[in-house]
Formats: sequence, structure tokens, C-alpha cells
Amino acid sequence: MIRRFTSTMAALVMLSLAGAGSAQAQPIHMTISGPGSTAAPIAVSDFKNLGGDDQGTASHDFVRVLRRDLDLSGYFSIISPKSYIEDPQNSGYDLGKFNFGDWSSINADFLVKGAVTVSGDQVSVEALMFDVTQQRRMFGTRFSGGPSDVEQMARRFADSVLKAVTGTQGPFDSRIAFVSTRGGRFKEIYLASPDGGGLFRVTDNPTINLFPKFAHSAASVLYLSYKTGEPALYLFDVAGRTELRINSPHGNVIGGALSPDGSRIVAAVENGGHTNLFLLERSGEEIRQLTQGHAINVNPAFSADGQQLAFTSDRSGSPQIYVMSLGGGPARRVTYKGDYNTSPSFSPDGRWLAYQSRSGGFNIFIIPAAGGQPTQLTQDGRSNQSPCWSPDGRYLIFSSTRGGHERLYLMQVNTQSQTGKVISALMEDESNDSSPTWSWWLGE
Amino acid sequence: MTVLPRGRGGSVNSGGRRAGRFAAMVVAAMMIAMVAGCSSKQNGAGAGAGGPGGPGGIGENGLGPNGSSSLNRFQKGMLDANGQGPLSDIHFDYNDYSVRAQDGEVLKSNADWMSKNSATRVQIEGHCDDRGSEEYNIALGAKRAQAAKDYLETLGITADRMSTISYGKELPVCNEDTDECWAQNRRDHFVVQQ
Repeated sequence: MIRRFTSTMAALVMLSLAGAGSAQAQPIHMTISGPGSTAAPIAVSDFKNLGGDDQGTASHDFVRVLRRDLDLSGYFSIISPKSYIEDPQNSGYDLGKFNFGDWSSINADFLVKGAVTVSGDQVSVEALMFDVTQQRRMFGTRFSGGPSDVEQMARRFADSVLKAVTGTQGPFDSRIAFVSTRGGRFKEIYLASPDGGGLFRVTDNPTINLFPKFAHSAASVLYLSYKTGEPALYLFDVAGRTELRINSPHGNVIGGALSPDGSRIVAAVENGGHTNLFLLERSGEEIRQLTQGHAINVNPAFSADGQQLAFTSDRSGSPQIYVMSLGGGPARRVTYKGDYNTSPSFSPDGRWLAYQSRSGGFNIFIIPAAGGQPTQLTQDGRSNQSPCWSPDGRYLIFSSTRGGHERLYLMQVNTQSQTGKVISALMEDESNDSSPTWSWWLGE
Repeated sequence: MTVLPRGRGGSVNSGGRRAGRFAAMVVAAMMIAMVAGCSSKQNGAGAGAGGPGGPGGIGENGLGPNGSSSLNRFQKGMLDANGQGPLSDIHFDYNDYSVRAQDGEVLKSNADWMSKNSATRVQIEGHCDDRGSEEYNIALGAKRAQAAKDYLETLGITADRMSTISYGKELPVCNEDTDECWAQNRRDHFVVQQ
């Protein structure tokens, strides 16, 4: 399904429910702090219809996406709805209006209940999170918007559930962009939610489209296309469906990145076989040249504060990861192990770089951005490529051929223990999906 | 969707058989262009859902500007190792862009043809195998194309008759994960532009 998701998002209104145990409640810091730990059993009940949702569509959309996202998070295991005892339509949804025993008896540690009201084009959703063990309400949120906003409401609620249990906001109310052949045999640019829903096609030309990049905002996407026969960068405005071609007087633009605030572009420009990085205004106007010489300098990637730039260069004789300060000064080499290290991505706190390295096949590694020992996070498969960090810093999205064809996968990462656990492929399509990138939260 | 014709495998641009093969490919191109015409209409119907409608771009028939470029042949579903035209491909070692000794003769032959056909211009395409970063491979393909251009200049072809483009690893002529395939894909392809 290809859907529009941009214009309606502004209409999504979210209110924290007042009263005991609101969203400001102290998070319970549990032992489920990362990959390798046990996932907490949670029940997500169907929502009660308070009027207008006679087909159960709104309830179904919200609950389906919430279960999907909590499952994908790696922090929860969803208790099968088949085992739920309570009928939501014949019970209350707030504290004191239902029996915790119906949920503790199926071994739920946590419970989400709620109610929906549909009136014309308006959908109201009230969602509540409970700690079954302590028989208390943790927080509640009331959303209102159109029917097409319901899935996004669920993603936002999933992020709040993760915050309530782990102390850190989840990453699902955001956007990913990627390259896919799902429209035929040509590589085109698509946007989606990080759970694989809400697919939106950006390009439709029978050539080659590559390297989608966001600023923190998902309102624009920068990508490379051969649609005129030559490679060029395009800055696509999602809501307006217009775009700007980014040219360079120095040669062919073959790649680029948007600064976190969206005001700047770093472009990789090839001329005479040499590829160097240039800092540009968002309009494409040149500010200054960042690298010089006859080497390859590609894969620019900003740190979240916009102060540092990681990139790949073969100036040493083999492709390696470098970091430079955009305030000036020389580039510093970060990787020394391996002879083919490319495609860096900064962790949101700026302390780590994820990248891909040739080691048999290609695998995902992390390394301290200040330099140090790399840690290999993927082991299997011929090719694991193009890692990109989630806005909350707990996940990497990357592409892998481990399932036969190239698909996008989500991996849970703990930088403290330097471990990673691949959770799942994001989509079940037969197409090849690659080059994922991840925006910041949509609500910010 | 248009089905890619299978690669005919085997020799790369071995000269003598080319004329007959070229005639066969023209017929095939016409047939496939008709099929592609149908499928591009379907693409067009989907454009309203999210097409960029941006400036410039591909013409109505969905084909790029350079008649026999690898991108154009890929669009027609005709990209295979046999290539097209009077000039022969050269090949490269993994993650390398230096012209191999055995390819000096190929470039000499290409230079001879260009000297005899002095009104032509040639676009040199750099290509890579399917392994590694897409963006790094575009830069590497650019180095491969430039290496052939520099070599042809030493053989007396003036720079203003040559242009370069890199397609990185995006347009393989062979689609299997084997050493033989990868070796075929690491190539410079030479497209004559009248």
C-alpha cells in the first residue's frame, strides 16, 4: 500500500491523561536493558468501542501496529491474544474497572488497554499502560486525528511504552528511507515507518536512484539519481512533491548527506577520477571544499550535533573511515583493522560509529568515534551493509542478503556491552531493499 | 514486467562475429522496446501516487539520452556481456583501477578505431562488481573510466573526444555471485557517440 502520510500528521493531537500515574510517572528501570536480556511479557488488549467503531477498524489498526512495534523493540514478548480471558467490550478499561487477575493469570507483567470513539472523520483513542504485577496504572495518552492517523498514534504510544519501561523513548515515531526494486526492476527511493508500514514512493523513473538521506526532519529527502542519464543529487520536498537539483561546478556529484538541521549539504564530487567532499548550502551554493587530493572521499555522514563529519577515504591505499571537525582541522583516521571499511553512521550521542567491513563477506561493526577497538556485530550472511542508527541509539537498521535476497533488518545494539542482536527483517517482500537511513522523531 | 534476456556468456567482444550479432540485437531491441513501452505506461499510471515530477529527467518513452549507453540498454532489458558497438571492454582486478598489461592491446585497438573514425566521440563507462559500498563503487568506477581515458590520451586520442561516467556496481552484465561473474562486471565499456 502506498499512502500519503505527511499532511495529515499535523492533525494528530496527543494529550497526556491527567491524574494518577500520568506520563510523568517515574520509569521502572528493569533488567531488560538490551540485547541478550529477557523480553517482558505484555498483553495488548483490543480496544473498547465507545461509539462509531462498529467494524473495529480503528481499534484493530492501533492494536496491530502497537503489538508489531513492541515486538520489534526486542524489549517485550506479546502474549498471544488467543489466551486473553477478558472481553474488552464487556469490561472497563481504566483502573478499578477491570480485573487484574484476568491478566496475571496469563502471566502478563504489563498490559495495554484502551478505548476508541469514531465520529465522522474524527477518531479519538485513549490508551492506558498498566503494571500488572504492581496493579497500577503507569501512564495514559489520549490521541485524536483522522482515520489515517491511527497507525501513527500507535507508533507514538509504543515509544511512550518503551520510555515507561526502559527510561528511553522508543524510535518508532520516525521515518526510514531506502532503495527498493519493489516497483519493478529499477532501484527507486521509498519512505516508510521503521516497522515497515506506511510505505511512500518518492521516485518513479526507470533509471538508478540511490543513497536517500534525511536531515533530523523527514520532511525532505536527498538522493542520487541517474534520471537525466548523468548522476546528480536531488533534494525532494515530501509534502510539496517538488525537488531541487544540486549541481557542482567541480564535476559529477555522486553522493551526499544533509546536515541535521537541514541547512547544509555535503556532496561527494568526482572529477578526473578524484572524488572530494564539498560543503554546500541547502540551495546547492558552495561554501568550501572539505577534502583535497587525488583519493576517493565518499559516504559523508554528520554527527547529530552537526559538528563532525565521518566519511570513507582510500587516501591510505584502502578504504577506511575518517572523522573531521566541520569547524576545521585535519581529518583523523578511525579504522585500522581490515582493508575495506566504508559507510559510517554516527550514533546519536556522537560516541560511536557503525560501519561495514569486508571480513569474508561484509559485516557490520561499531568502533568508538574517538578511535579504539572495533566490535563485529553481524557474523552470518554474505553481505551486511549500510548501517544507520535509530534516533534513540538502541537500534541499527541495515541491509543483508542473509535471507537470499537483500532486505532491511533491525538490530538491537548495546554500546556499553558492545553487543548486537538481529531482531527481524522489516518487510517480507520479494524485492531487493538497500541503503536504509533513519530520521529523528517526527514529533520534534 | 520486462524479462531480462539471459547473458550469452563466454567471450567478451571477440571481434569477427559481431556484425551478425549486432543485426540480431537490433531486431531484439525493437521487440523489447515494444514490451518496455507497455510496462512504462504502467509505471506512468503509478506516478501520481508519489512520482517526483521533478525537472528534467527521462523522456516520455522512459529512455535515457545516450542511445547505446549501458543504462539505456539496461532500460531496454538488453544489458549483457556482449556489449554493442565497435569498441571492446577492458577489465580490472578487485578494488583496483590500473589498466592491466593484457588490456593494453585492447586499448590500442580501440585507439586505432577512434583514429580512423575521427568524427566520433566516445563515452567511457566505469563499472564495478557487486561487492561493497554502492557510493565507494561509483567513485572507483570513475577512477577506472579515467584510467582508460588517460591511457587513450597517451595513444594520441585527444581528451575532447572522450567523456567518462561511472555506474558503480549498478549495471552488472552478469548476475551471479561467482568469481567469473565479478570479473566480467569489473569493466570499462566504450560507447560511441556520433
